[in-house]
Amino acid sequence: MDSINYNRKINFSWLFKMALRDSRRNRARLLLFISSIVFGIAALVAIYSFKYNIQNDINSQAATLIGADLSITGNKEPDKKLQNLLDSLGENRSQERSFASMIYFTRTQGTRLVNIKALDGAFPYYGSLETTPVQAGTDFKSGKYALVDKTLMLQFAAKVGDSIKVGNATFAIAGILNKAPGQTGLSAGIAPIVYIPFKYLDDTKLIGMGSRINYAYYYKFKPGFDVEKLAKKIEPTLDKADYGYDTVEGRKENTGRSFGDLSRFLSLVGFIALLLGCVGVASAINIYIREKIASIAIMRCMGVKASEAFLIYLIQITGIGLIGSLAGAALGTSIQHLLPFVLKDFLPIEISVQISWVAIWQGIGLGVIISVLFALLPLINIRNISPLNTLRMSYEETATKRDPFRWLVYLLVVCFVVCFAYLQLEDWVGAAVFTVGILVAFLILTSIAWLLIRFTRLLIMSGWSYIWRQGFANLYRPNNQTIILTVSIGLSTAFIATLFLIQQLLIAQVSLSASGNQSNMILFDIQTAQEKPLAELTRKQGLPILSQVPIITMRLEKVNGKTAADAKKDTTLRISPRAYAWEYRVTYRDSLTDSEQITDGKFIGKAEPGKDIPISAESRFAQRINAKVGDKLVFNVQGVMMNTYVSSIRKVNWNKVQTNFQVLFPAGVLEEAPQFHVLLTHVPSQTVSAAYQQAVVKQFPNISIIDLGLVLTVLDELLDKIGYVIKFMSGFSIITGIIVLISSIRISKYQRIQESVLLRTLGGSRRQIFSITALEYLFLGALSALTGIVIAVAASWLLATYQFEMPYKVNLWPVAGIFGAITALTVVIGLLNSRGILNKPPLEVLRSNA
Amino acid sequence: MKHSFKILPVAVLTLFLAACGGDKKPDQKDTTATAASAETAKPKKIILFFGDSLTAGYGLDDATQAFPGVVQAKIDSAKLPYTVVNGGLSGETSAGGLSRIDWLLKQQPFDIFVLELGANDGLRGLPPASTEKNLQGIIDKVKAKYPQAKLVLLGMQVPTNMGADYSTDFKNVFPKLADKNKMTLVPFLLQGVGGVRKLNQADGIHPTEEGAKIVGANVWKELEGIL
Repeated sequence: MDSINYNRKINFSWLFKMALRDSRRNRARLLLFISSIVFGIAALVAIYSFKYNIQNDINSQAATLIGADLSITGNKEPDKKLQNLLDSLGENRSQERSFASMIYFTRTQGTRLVNIKALDGAFPYYGSLETTPVQAGTDFKSGKYALVDKTLMLQFAAKVGDSIKVGNATFAIAGILNKAPGQTGLSAGIAPIVYIPFKYLDDTKLIGMGSRINYAYYYKFKPGFDVEKLAKKIEPTLDKADYGYDTVEGRKENTGRSFGDLSRFLSLVGFIALLLGCVGVASAINIYIREKIASIAIMRCMGVKASEAFLIYLIQITGIGLIGSLAGAALGTSIQHLLPFVLKDFLPIEISVQISWVAIWQGIGLGVIISVLFALLPLINIRNISPLNTLRMSYEETATKRDPFRWLVYLLVVCFVVCFAYLQLEDWVGAAVFTVGILVAFLILTSIAWLLIRFTRLLIMSGWSYIWRQGFANLYRPNNQTIILTVSIGLSTAFIATLFLIQQLLIAQVSLSASGNQSNMILFDIQTAQEKPLAELTRKQGLPILSQVPIITMRLEKVNGKTAADAKKDTTLRISPRAYAWEYRVTYRDSLTDSEQITDGKFIGKAEPGKDIPISAESRFAQRINAKVGDKLVFNVQGVMMNTYVSSIRKVNWNKVQTNFQVLFPAGVLEEAPQFHVLLTHVPSQTVSAAYQQAVVKQFPNISIIDLGLVLTVLDELLDKIGYVIKFMSGFSIITGIIVLISSIRISKYQRIQESVLLRTLGGSRRQIFSITALEYLFLGALSALTGIVIAVAASWLLATYQFEMPYKVNLWPVAGIFGAITALTVVIGLLNSRGILNKPPLEVLRSNA
Repeated sequence: MKHSFKILPVAVLTLFLAACGGDKKPDQKDTTATAASAETAKPKKIILFFGDSLTAGYGLDDATQAFPGVVQAKIDSAKLPYTVVNGGLSGETSAGGLSRIDWLLKQQPFDIFVLELGANDGLRGLPPASTEKNLQGIIDKVKAKYPQAKLVLLGMQVPTNMGADYSTDFKNVFPKLADKNKMTLVPFLLQGVGGVRKLNQADGIHPTEEGAKIVGANVWKELEGIL
């Protein structure tokens, strides 16, 4: 002892040995801490793995919207230059000619307009031509065979093996076409599809002078090839030739917001997984180090330098973090593999289970970094622990508030969160906003905890019973766990509730888009005399009339006395001259539909004879012609001038398959004008569709029918999948959140042991200790859960408004359920924590834990 | 993309526009008005062109560029006392025309009636028999109201790809009707234009300004004789 050399070199092997030795003291306790890290990282790895796998699944499903990486289309024969370009692209290519034609069913002697597609090559590259029998989808190219749309088959009572005549050629029906990739355009809806092999196209003699043919070329590229870049490059050449192109990305954008919503949601889930990991690891490490303070003081007494003590524990924490992360990654990966297997009977979608090394490495890296970062905060205090601390047995926090290193650590933590948020969101602004959001949540929770400590101290009355006083006093006395538990319970609750609320919003949005109750069949060109009998026929078939509206074609003649010529001359009028060239499809009604909303003026449903007609203008139309409420418009209704004024401006929800109108006339003026009617209905199946179409065509041969069924099933399937993925991911993340929450409450086990044991030794009954603990956890749980939920509501509102850009309409009742559940959970775990003490004699507990 | 499914309503709307043929059809009244204001003292006789987008001049800058306008120009340069009224409506089928004719008969007197309908029936594969029935219905209504009016029928054909059987049935409707009702027949309105890429707009069915001139000439060839 007499020759201590304070300038001795750092002896790393000794430090490692010490780190190991120290950890041996209480392996059971260490295990508990590691388990918290394990759960945090397992949650993170499992969520990330699912996320990557699901993203791939959805992307490959999206590719079936086109069926290829790139499609190029036009309606005239490509010239030499274009042909050379077309022949030079891609790894695999297919070509298709499509055109309208009348086919003849030889056996049943029916004739019908169809959309013939002559196909050459292996298209579709994504998805398949789904046929009955299955192999027909690929085999039909081997001979003079055709694939015929299912509804059409039903309509003409055709069977596989029957022959159809296309032009001058006869084909045998090889299979019934149920679904085909790339059929999301409306062109697919106008006429049912019939596929024939390209090599027999000439035999039909349908191609020649005066034919109207569409040319399509489909390409598949090597994985990883930048199709978008290529598309941009060849765009000018295609434009010049009047050709267009379509890519998977482009189609996803056009298909609607669901894809965007999903990827934003998955980023959010990833971010939350990261924070769950943080909460799990950080709360464990924080408490662990706090408990080590006594040991450190003893070591200091024995002559260990402050820097050595710091390093010993840094090494120990890194080791613990690494072990926990490795175990967590293993657990996460096995959950990811087991879960779809276990749930495969319940999940309506197939989730592929590939080991995601990205997720694993991210998990391990994160685990170690979080452990070290969050350990640093208490560890820098170690440098200031004086040997006297042991002797004093003081619980007073060693004053290090002004330690500059502390701020450095804070900065590191913030940097780390921003960087990893960026990894998830791939957007610096977003990452910064999210980090600030989390910081705000953290500060709110900390200050709530701080206020709680302050106020309970003032609040407690000596008149209260012992149990109440003791229970509340636990919240502010030294060695309290108020701040750490409030923050971890509050943050976990906030994450869980946010996910829950956002999930609710997204699912509502997705099911709004899905076609369940929307119209999938449109009938038009219905003449006025046919309106009633058709409605009757529709009802008789058991189909709903979702809407039946008259449509009158008219043109805009004058806006406030200004004609097209005026608008063209004087641009300061801000009336688009095109507005005059357009033919408006207008309807008349005496009321608004629920997809319309008046934003200005008043809707008038009935016109008064002899006066100007009050019309309602759609807001974008009003903008185009620069019209306000009260402005006068003159419409030319097929030769009759009608003086009108804008009585109201409407916002129209263009979200659904329905008839929407830019201009709406009141009842009482257009009844006599030449008009046709449109009817929208929903057919539940192809069989019904076929029967209905047949009945309509028989009775009203002039009515045209568009069956959107085939178009909508491809989209619906995708939306369904997106909906399930969102539910699955949020459900899974919520469960992992709860597990992380449980484990972070669980680590508070040893906080209360000594006090409880002392109480027991002093003669406290089991019941008393039980009640004291219950009260403390009840109060902590309820307050933090409530704060967490308030934060979640605010956060989900912000997310809905700025990130997802959708109206915030949520049901808050289930959130009340979350509040109750989390409070109950906190109390139960708190009680379980002290169960060991309650059931064993005090001495035994003291011996093993002191 | 703010709303999901935008594709569909938009598609549905464009469908109406496409199927119904149209936009851009500067007013039919315009032609009447300008022609009426042209000096001459004695009242001019009126030729009503009753038809679809081909008559209306779908996709052209100005309805006077459509073939009825071309015919008007020829009438003017021949100094004949006739005014053309353009009664075209994009997307009109023969069934639609049968309903609409009442509206026009009520307010538009005429001396010569030129019927140009059926093209949309053909493109939609409607049965030629029903097209024939509807066109006959229109002719009957016209005859009942203006027994003195001279009638002209513009013949139409469908693209080759519709199949030979249908094409033939469809093509035959027009001479049959003309014969039965003693109408002047233009055998094929789009003669020399249909299927010629550079005389048609990008959609391949509506003539360009250049194409409309040839179409106008086709009509003039037959019409000239009865003026």
